[in-house]
Amino acid sequence: MTSRSALRALASSCALVAAAYVLAFLPGGAPPSAAWGLVLGSAGALASLMALGAARAGRVRRGAVVACALTFVVVAAAFGAALLLPANEGPHAPLLLGLPVRTAIVIYGVGLVPLVFLPVIYALQFDADAPTDDELERIRRAARERDA
Amino acid sequence: MTAWALLQASTPAMRHPAITAVAALYFIGVAVIGTWATRRTHSARDYFVAGQGIGIVTLAVAAMASTLSGFAFIGGPGLVYSAGIGAVFIVLSASITSTMQAWVLAKRMRLMGEARGLLTVPDAIAARFRSPAAQGLSAVAMLVAIIGYMATNFLALGLVIDAMFGTGLALGVWLAMGVTLSYTVAGGILAGIYTDLFEGIVKTAASVTVFVFVLRAGGGMAGITRAIAAVDTAFVGPWGKMPALAALSLFFVFALGSLGQPHIAHKFYMLKEPKRLKWYPALMGGAMALTLLLYVGVGLVMRALVATGAIPPLVRPDDATPAFVLGFTPSVVAGVVFAGVLAAGMSTVNSFMNIGAAALTHDLPRAFGRRVDDELRWGRVWTVVLSVAAAFVAQVSGTLVAFLGIFGYGLFAATLVPSLAVGLNWKGATREGAVASIATGLALTLALETLAYFKVFSLPAGVTVSGLALVLSLLVFFGVSWMTRERAAGQLDEDVRLVMDV
Repeated sequence: MTSRSALRALASSCALVAAAYVLAFLPGGAPPSAAWGLVLGSAGALASLMALGAARAGRVRRGAVVACALTFVVVAAAFGAALLLPANEGPHAPLLLGLPVRTAIVIYGVGLVPLVFLPVIYALQFDADAPTDDELERIRRAARERDA
Repeated sequence: MTAWALLQASTPAMRHPAITAVAALYFIGVAVIGTWATRRTHSARDYFVAGQGIGIVTLAVAAMASTLSGFAFIGGPGLVYSAGIGAVFIVLSASITSTMQAWVLAKRMRLMGEARGLLTVPDAIAARFRSPAAQGLSAVAMLVAIIGYMATNFLALGLVIDAMFGTGLALGVWLAMGVTLSYTVAGGILAGIYTDLFEGIVKTAASVTVFVFVLRAGGGMAGITRAIAAVDTAFVGPWGKMPALAALSLFFVFALGSLGQPHIAHKFYMLKEPKRLKWYPALMGGAMALTLLLYVGVGLVMRALVATGAIPPLVRPDDATPAFVLGFTPSVVAGVVFAGVLAAGMSTVNSFMNIGAAALTHDLPRAFGRRVDDELRWGRVWTVVLSVAAAFVAQVSGTLVAFLGIFGYGLFAATLVPSLAVGLNWKGATREGAVASIATGLALTLALETLAYFKVFSLPAGVTVSGLALVLSLLVFFGVSWMTRERAAGQLDEDVRLVMDV
């Protein structure tokens, strides 16, 4: 994956969110597709912006690609499931870890699951991504030359 | 009765010896740290970026403490109490944002800070785009949001101080301002960062402890859910009482907007050793998750207790936390929670005092091609001026202060995310794109929020001003940068290009 493809994904995701907002201005209010625009747009914007930030010299390493892809899948799948599954939040409805199933998928899926894999992948990837002493020296030298 | 008097009358009294003692201990702790930091602040670099000597644990906990203002302990649980699960969407992205900040901002800001000796977030934008205009415009946007944020937090702190010590609201506001100002003006961000560490620990301890009592009072999460679902099924549904579009819009703004919060981004300059960033997402994400337990738990359990008839409905949603800790936890725990509320407000205000003073001392003069000779002295002067102005706004503006506080986060997001978060990672971005996106975010947020406040115009259900302004400023950034793309390469200094490559 390259920075360029991450940037295209980011711009497309923002366009999806904008389209969702435009749909909400239609007479009769937002159609169901507007919520899908925000689901896919938000998940895409987060994942692609992370990929853009994780790129080194224009290329995104495999670990970061996996992290960003997982983030997109988890966020889009959790919100998508909440939109697709039938509402069943009555007093006798089945619970998952103390919450109604659709709510549990959103709260634990988006609110907790990324906390398990993102910091781990970031830490595993970190040493390969950290700037070398040579790179740091080149940056400092370029800054000194600019100031001079 | 004025809005102020109503606010004051409806805040539960917290004058219990144990609560007052814990709060007094908290203030003593803050005073000790402030005194220690003052002795170590000798230059503008110490004052604004803590001499680039901060460790990773301190950075992560301080970033968490600054992120979660008093809203996380008072307004947030109140919103959960009234809007249900949908209100949790504001904090739902906390599981992602710490890693996103690390990848998108931390490394490049830290390296640019070191190479160029940068002090502020607008400094980074100016260095990236070689644009004093972008620096000045982003500083103006920050100042508008900062005054509102500070005024709102002073008002909230004044209410808590009045409820704890019986000072009266006016004196409470000025006491809150005075205490925070005293350690900020003397010790600068060094005092701020270590009081943030102390305050972050207090907040986390308070949140985890209260959550244990939440589960006990509600009969576990299942008990809480069953009690609420018996009277209101939508409340515990995935979007709560909101339309799905509104809840998802909150998620979008608060997830992406986390990259445009200057009081967090600014802290990356302060890290002593960039290689320690390895553990930032784990530390910051873990601290956020623990500290947000109170936000989620208290609003839900109070609604469950009302549903079962154990307590009467709350007069105001914002009473959820005070009413729960006073009624369902020992007074020492209540004291720690109220100290946590003070901590939350003061740690956020302190960060804003510092970056606001930096905008006036450093960014605006540079935008006009001038430099202030003694930035340390003028930084302190502007810290005092800003703080007094914000306390004055809190005192005279009545309900307007809530309006000012509302759009702060969205204004930061709409004006800074494109040029800072995307700009630092995309060599094809141009200064024309940066200036246009900052201007779009600023103008749209101010215009739409003002029209909505005065009920001249309102957006359709589910569309928020902050979401609309953020996405439009991003699209303007992409569009204008694309139209002026032939100028992009010429606007990049060699050291900045190298930073963007690593």
